[in-house]
Amino acid sequence: MLPVVVVHGGAGHIPKERSERSTSGVCSAARSAYKVLKGGGSSMDAVVEAVMVLENNPSFNAGCGSVLNVKGEVEMDALVMDGSTLSSGAVSAVRNIANPIHLARLVMEKTSHACLTAEGASRFARSMGVPEVPEESLITEYSRMRWKKNLAPDSNPVECQMGKMGTVGAVAVDINGTVACATSTGGMLNKMEGRVGDTPCIGSGGYADNMSGAVSTTGHGEAIMKVTLARHILFHMEQGQSAEAASDLGLAHMKSRVGGLGGVVTVDPQGNWAARFSSLQMAWAAAQKDSLHYGLYTGEHFTQIIEDAH
Amino acid sequence: MSAVLVVHGGAWAIPDELAPVSVQGVKAAARHGSSVLRSGGSLVDAVEAAVRALEDNTVFNAGHGATLKIDGEVQLDAIIVDGKTLAFGSVSCVKNIANPVSLARAVMEKTSHVMLTGRGADKFAESIGIAMVPTDKLVTECERKEWEKHKKYIAAVNEEFNTQAHDTVGAVALDSAGNVACATSTGGTRHKMVGRVGDSPVIGCGAYADNISGAVSCTGHGESILKVTLARLILSHVEQGKSVEDASQLSLQHMGDRVQGAGGAIVVSPSGQWAATFTTKRMAWAAAEDDVLWFGIDPKEKLKEKLSL
Repeated sequence: MLPVVVVHGGAGHIPKERSERSTSGVCSAARSAYKVLKGGGSSMDAVVEAVMVLENNPSFNAGCGSVLNVKGEVEMDALVMDGSTLSSGAVSAVRNIANPIHLARLVMEKTSHACLTAEGASRFARSMGVPEVPEESLITEYSRMRWKKNLAPDSNPVECQMGKMGTVGAVAVDINGTVACATSTGGMLNKMEGRVGDTPCIGSGGYADNMSGAVSTTGHGEAIMKVTLARHILFHMEQGQSAEAASDLGLAHMKSRVGGLGGVVTVDPQGNWAARFSSLQMAWAAAQKDSLHYGLYTGEHFTQIIEDAH
Repeated sequence: MSAVLVVHGGAWAIPDELAPVSVQGVKAAARHGSSVLRSGGSLVDAVEAAVRALEDNTVFNAGHGATLKIDGEVQLDAIIVDGKTLAFGSVSCVKNIANPVSLARAVMEKTSHVMLTGRGADKFAESIGIAMVPTDKLVTECERKEWEKHKKYIAAVNEEFNTQAHDTVGAVALDSAGNVACATSTGGTRHKMVGRVGDSPVIGCGAYADNISGAVSCTGHGESILKVTLARLILSHVEQGKSVEDASQLSLQHMGDRVQGAGGAIVVSPSGQWAATFTTKRMAWAAAEDDVLWFGIDPKEKLKEKLSL
């Protein structure tokens, strides 16, 4: 059953012309992370690898390709968590770096803190020698077009975003049974400057504990935070629910209690995994026992052999 | 069922010379919050008022009197949660705001978001007419001296984090209809890095409120509270049928065992149970229930007096 990695590219409604890119994007992230695991890497190495691949892919709302805030700028959030020690690192509203997930990991490993925000996070990035990139390099034509469209007074960014969101994330278990999660996002379309969503908030955007499992979430951030979705799902697993049943219970609770839609990837320490969502679609991929699993619509589950796993 | 309002002034090794003023401060805040409820204010009004009273009191590490971060400036975090709708608002890393809890409430009520940080939060405050106060006004002479004293001993900070850091204020409340709410506000750890966000503004960590299970406000070693999502953990035990007292103790003990962190929490349940629990040396707390004001600062201490508003 071990190792295993499960990746998502965001829950929502993905326009047809972009769905193929989303699927191939999550598949290549899962392959890449699986290779790290097979090579003896830790679950933390694997989830960071998966998320960096997605951050570097302009089709997703993280790193390059992030949505823009109301001022047309890129502000990103990210979180990592290690299930063996419960150590975590997060950054919120960070600018001008290519891989927020890498910076989140540095916060975990190089500081005594768990979360750095805004200018303080940028300052820390500089002190660690993380290259500063021009904002322009993170912006795509697509993200600028959607920003402009949603500046119109009658626009509804929440609605539009539920249409096409793309927070990315991953969970993994390595051969030692250690779980980890990573989540990264550009946040919400046309958000206010300084808006922080669920992604960098431990328990909401992700959670990992070797006692129960790991979860990375995506969807309407404000709703996810209200029910602390990741932690909520793991509570159900602590009570004996399977990864799949716990994920469904958590998503159903979020829908009934606060009317929010979203999706999750979940693993338990034994390597059982789930990719579940209440939104119309979620691009996901999982790699286990040299097989790649992936899907986009509810009920969809394709499988293929990973040829170059060794 | 009667309304209850509980406040805390931070869990840490409160020195003897600060003990009486700390107790006095939490008692005054509980009285104030309770009087807001009695005069027809909402639950959110009541927890906001109680926390504002603590923010305005220089004895506590929040608002005026906050600890200084590494460059000698203040940086404040706060959150407020309405258990009926799960609506909440929070701010992290704001500077020139005397009452961050009120800004957190404005985020909840006036934006489609739930959390604002840094410059964005300051700009929002300005845009809704919240007065900016010069940084100096939030710094007390006493804190400046402490900061100077500690400046040279960053290495010792770890020890201080766990037991001695001046920490966080909060309030939880229940009304006669069974609704709950909570609020938490802090200046964070002394000599923290610029931009450090602790547990206080993070939902499920520094605070959580849900009419189904109850309301919690936490204090203590922020990074540890984050790791175990302490507020949410306590309420999950309540959901499993534990009393609020047992739920708090189990969760704080788990935090000690699993990540070696100490702290404290105040909790109310929709049925009117409440508890003030801590694993640090001390925590100043007070609770207004019916005509009685309960209070304490040392472990197992539970004193009472008639509640005069």
